[in-house]
Amino acid sequence: MLTKLPVIAALTAQDILVEGEPTWLQQWRQAAWQHVNESAPPLWRRTDLTAYALADMEFTPTASESQRGSAVPDGVVVMPLSQAVHAHGDLVKAHLGSAVAFNASKYAALNAATWRDGWFVYVPKNHEASVPLHLLQGFGSGNTLVARNLVVLERGAQLSLIEQYAGDGGPFAVVASELILGDGATLQYTSMQTWGATVHHMGHQVAKVGNDATIVWTAVNTGAAHQHIDAETYLGGNGSRVNWTAATVAGDGQRLLTAPWLRHVGRATEAHMDFKTVVKGSGYATFDGMIKIEGGSADTITRLEEHALHLSPQARSDSIPGLKIDTNNVQKAGHASTSGEVDDEQLFYMQARGIPKSDAVHMIVMGFFESVLDRIPLDTLREQVTADIAARI
Amino acid sequence: MELVIKDLHANIGDKEILKGVNLTVTPGTIHAIMGPNGSGKSTLSNTIMGHPSYTVTGGEVWYKGQNVLELPVDERAKLGLFLAFQYPVSIPGVTVANFLRAAVNAHRAVAGKDPRETAIPMAQYRKEIREKMAALGVDDGFARRYLNDGFSGGEKKRVEILQMSMLKPSMAIMDETDSGLDIDALKVVSQGVNTLLTQNPEMGVLVITHYQRLLNYIKPNRVSVMMEGRIVREGGPELALELEERGYDFIREEVFGNAN
Repeated sequence: MLTKLPVIAALTAQDILVEGEPTWLQQWRQAAWQHVNESAPPLWRRTDLTAYALADMEFTPTASESQRGSAVPDGVVVMPLSQAVHAHGDLVKAHLGSAVAFNASKYAALNAATWRDGWFVYVPKNHEASVPLHLLQGFGSGNTLVARNLVVLERGAQLSLIEQYAGDGGPFAVVASELILGDGATLQYTSMQTWGATVHHMGHQVAKVGNDATIVWTAVNTGAAHQHIDAETYLGGNGSRVNWTAATVAGDGQRLLTAPWLRHVGRATEAHMDFKTVVKGSGYATFDGMIKIEGGSADTITRLEEHALHLSPQARSDSIPGLKIDTNNVQKAGHASTSGEVDDEQLFYMQARGIPKSDAVHMIVMGFFESVLDRIPLDTLREQVTADIAARI
Repeated sequence: MELVIKDLHANIGDKEILKGVNLTVTPGTIHAIMGPNGSGKSTLSNTIMGHPSYTVTGGEVWYKGQNVLELPVDERAKLGLFLAFQYPVSIPGVTVANFLRAAVNAHRAVAGKDPRETAIPMAQYRKEIREKMAALGVDDGFARRYLNDGFSGGEKKRVEILQMSMLKPSMAIMDETDSGLDIDALKVVSQGVNTLLTQNPEMGVLVITHYQRLLNYIKPNRVSVMMEGRIVREGGPELALELEERGYDFIREEVFGNAN
């Protein structure tokens, strides 16, 4: 028995609700739904919005099979967010939407209004998770996945979390991740978009970092035909820190955009950002990054680096780094950006040692990504991703 | 086999740097090329190896029955030519150990054979690199560092010699290996080269240097002087000493006259 699923554009405000959910959540979904319908399309000049048409996205009223790639570390709460709404209602209510606001964009609103999939992860005060947690999300029924992850680390908690989107299907994935770090918490966050080649990925990710808390954020983006990721590290706490790296590979037919924001709000916050991109064939990657040093901040240290390697003449990468400073009290703010082909001097050096040109290019590119891939915490996953990237170069 | 350079001309862009170099390096000899800055010494070494910034506009370089100028760079290396770089480049993300293993395996590769069959066994490779590093006074941890990334001048040159001793070339070109070395590092590096020469007495070495200093440790059999893109004088080791004492000007005057 096959029932034709309705498309999202045809839904009513009643259709989006989930029976049995608390009133506050129903109201939040409704408000988000209103934003979906009333807001203007986002002004994203480098993202092809026709790849994310609501008229093409099917609505699946129930959650798909949730998956995990690893066991749950002792003492950490991991459950589908839809269950946490009931089992940990107060926590979910306190944090849901606090990092990724539904009015961040039409698609953030779409996610808030219609999510069924996704995870709730909670690490209690001062608890150090002993092993990495790997959350793996694929497509269920219907052509659209709407998933939302809510990750809460209480004061002094520590966790290594891998969030991976992988598999074929869809093609539409509209996902959001909210990461809440309490004071002194440490999150090693590995965010992987390794979808099959036909997926259209739309993601919003925001990490809110408390006093003296640290996030080590490693992003790997190799899959999908279209990717638009709005990501932000909100350094709200005094002495909060982020070390953010990314590896992006855009090959034939891929259009991958990342818009990472570093927002310095607290005193003595520190950020290091190093994004690496390889484009090949007809691939097109965009880095649309921003460092925003807010008015109330002080003694900020921030550095943004972004490097792109072109492996073919048709491949394209755009880099639009920005820096906005609304305070007179900045300790250090720096920026470096490079873009170009594989360095001739490096190639010559390696060839002069007998290494054929194609192997030399390969080693240089893998070396380029090494510092990012090296941070993937699970050996098998790191080896798999490294091999996948190597095979594509 | 001899390395024979015949009337070699090379440009950077539109500027002619090599203006007809003739030189023969015989196996088992250390042949020094000395010359003032800007005389074309480094251009010569880079042109022999095939650096893409230099355009050959005339001449030939024969080695083992082939005009190496017609070969891709990696084939020149596999023929037995080795260039110890004046300024070794860093390759972030590629460890010394992995890089050298790739180089060793590239040398061992045989067309039509599975590279896994010809690759050096891991245990043998580890043993060899450890021995060679110890001989050069290179710390064990070096193998795991990214190639030349953050290395001091002395470390870079030691790693050049380490590569040379692992790849065992039949003709080594050393481009200003002494530049940036203190006297201790210079001794270690020279000793490395001399050890290699003892092990491979048929190896030819072309030592390119500005100063006589290096030649106190790596003793040349032949000395050629290069000026304005040509070899202008050849002699025995005594020529190097004479240059040390008198500078290059007396040769300049003899060759180009007193016009300026």
